[in-house]
Amino acid sequence: MSTIMIVEDDPKICELLQSHIEKYGYQTLVVSDFERVIDYFHENRPDLVLLDVNLPSFDGYYWCRQIRAVSTCPILFISARESKMDQVMALENGADDYITKPFYYEVVIAKIRSHLRRAYGSYAMQAEEKTVEWSGLILYPERLELSWKGQTAHLAKKEAMLLEKLMERSGRVVSRTRLLEKLWDDQQFVDDNTLNVYVTRVRKKLKELGIEGALETVRGTGYRLKATWGEQG
Amino acid sequence: MRLFLREQIPLLIIYGLQLVLILGIYRLAGFQNWWIALYAALLSAVLFVGYLCYRYWSLRSFYYRLTFPMETLDESIRDRGGNPLSKALNELLKTQYQHYKGELHHYESKIRNHVTFINQWVHQMKTPLSVIHLTIQDEDDPIFDSIREESDRIGKGLETVLHTARLDSFEQDFHVEPVRLNTVVHQVIQENKGLFIRNRVYPEVYVDETLTVESDEKWLAFVLGQLLTNAVKYSVETGEKIVLSSWMRGPHAVLQVTDYGIGIPKKDLQRVFEPYFTGEHGRKYPESTGMGLYLVREVCRRLNHGVELTSKVGKGTTVRIIFLSPVPPVPLHESKEGLR
Repeated sequence: MSTIMIVEDDPKICELLQSHIEKYGYQTLVVSDFERVIDYFHENRPDLVLLDVNLPSFDGYYWCRQIRAVSTCPILFISARESKMDQVMALENGADDYITKPFYYEVVIAKIRSHLRRAYGSYAMQAEEKTVEWSGLILYPERLELSWKGQTAHLAKKEAMLLEKLMERSGRVVSRTRLLEKLWDDQQFVDDNTLNVYVTRVRKKLKELGIEGALETVRGTGYRLKATWGEQG
Repeated sequence: MRLFLREQIPLLIIYGLQLVLILGIYRLAGFQNWWIALYAALLSAVLFVGYLCYRYWSLRSFYYRLTFPMETLDESIRDRGGNPLSKALNELLKTQYQHYKGELHHYESKIRNHVTFINQWVHQMKTPLSVIHLTIQDEDDPIFDSIREESDRIGKGLETVLHTARLDSFEQDFHVEPVRLNTVVHQVIQENKGLFIRNRVYPEVYVDETLTVESDEKWLAFVLGQLLTNAVKYSVETGEKIVLSSWMRGPHAVLQVTDYGIGIPKKDLQRVFEPYFTGEHGRKYPESTGMGLYLVREVCRRLNHGVELTSKVGKGTTVRIIFLSPVPPVPLHESKEGLR
């Protein structure tokens, strides 16, 4: 299990980040004494460091240089400053990436994963393949597969994303806005009609597995995934 | 010279009167010899003109200065002539200059402090905003959608403040380089996806993937963000698309943002780029600060981009950015290598 060291002086952000990162199966280590960041590093040997730029006494750049002098582990900056100069400074002081506030959990997690993969090889990540499971239905978002009672359906990327969101909040309504935001990526913008198309496709895939009527439309709000099949089938 | 002569007019009159008076008294006292009298008058006149000439010569720089206004502030402390009057004027200007400079420095440092303060404050505000942002990210209740929307709005507002404050120190904060237009467009759309989705207005992009322009990526993204925000804001409830396209106008690349929203009334068209001008929409949309397009024009001016705006009420608005210094397009795969 990878250990991630969080160096952030705002206790709330720190706490939120910590609990979210732990959800993804990483160990976290929070620095509380900002005079001794490097000592924490030496004592715990984390696999990755999340570093704020504005810190009491010394700034993040300073600590980044200190860590760089002894280790090549990935260092990601998290900062409210978004100017090019700050980013250049960060990278020149030895950081690997730069995330600006306010940020999305997904971005932080994605960057953590990609840097860990790059630094320690992909074999480590495969052992931690993400699965979303609910009432016997298992989704493998990275393999784009959905399996139920030994049967497997292959999904398209967007279908998997849609299902992931719905299964993470299974039983609860997920708003259209949220689904659209999830599906919307760099190259392809998803509008309401496209979302309807994807929902239809997901229903079809579920039907392939013998699941019907599980994906409910909630009028005026969004969609809900209900366990109509039950554990025993 | 003219000023000098005008200045001496009373003296000339007094001198003339004096001459007449003295000649008159001589006449009344019984002197009949006109030639002597005229000779005396001539001698006196020559002395008088001599005096005037000397006076003019010694004071000419003084008069020169009074006649021709200074072109720069610094000119007022340049020393000219050793005449007492000239010296006194120099002293006066020097002290005035000093006071003036002092005051300028005072205000300059005041403004600088203020900008620093604003910058710091905005960055401080980003931390609580991040906390709100993170706290509600996994919440599904409809109320959180609304909180998310408002917090996005605050974030946008803070960005605008930061960019406005930075406009004055623009020269230190920009870096022109070849920028792939398509990449910036997609990046800005991605950043604003919440805005699009919430308002049910969606973008359509027809920007040439190989087109590269000379610009500053960050500022260009900011400009585009402002244009998209406007386009979405004024197309709400029309269900229309926003079209982003690029084309070449002669040697210059043009980026065009078109919405099919409410448009801008003709009488406001002339003034949309003025700061704080909100026009008719400002009264209908309380969010209009009137700064968006002003910032767009200011930033574009500094980046050497042209801005054009056409609009028709009820039909929509088109804004074009014209990139005035083109660079040759780079093959797609090559630049991807370069990014790494």
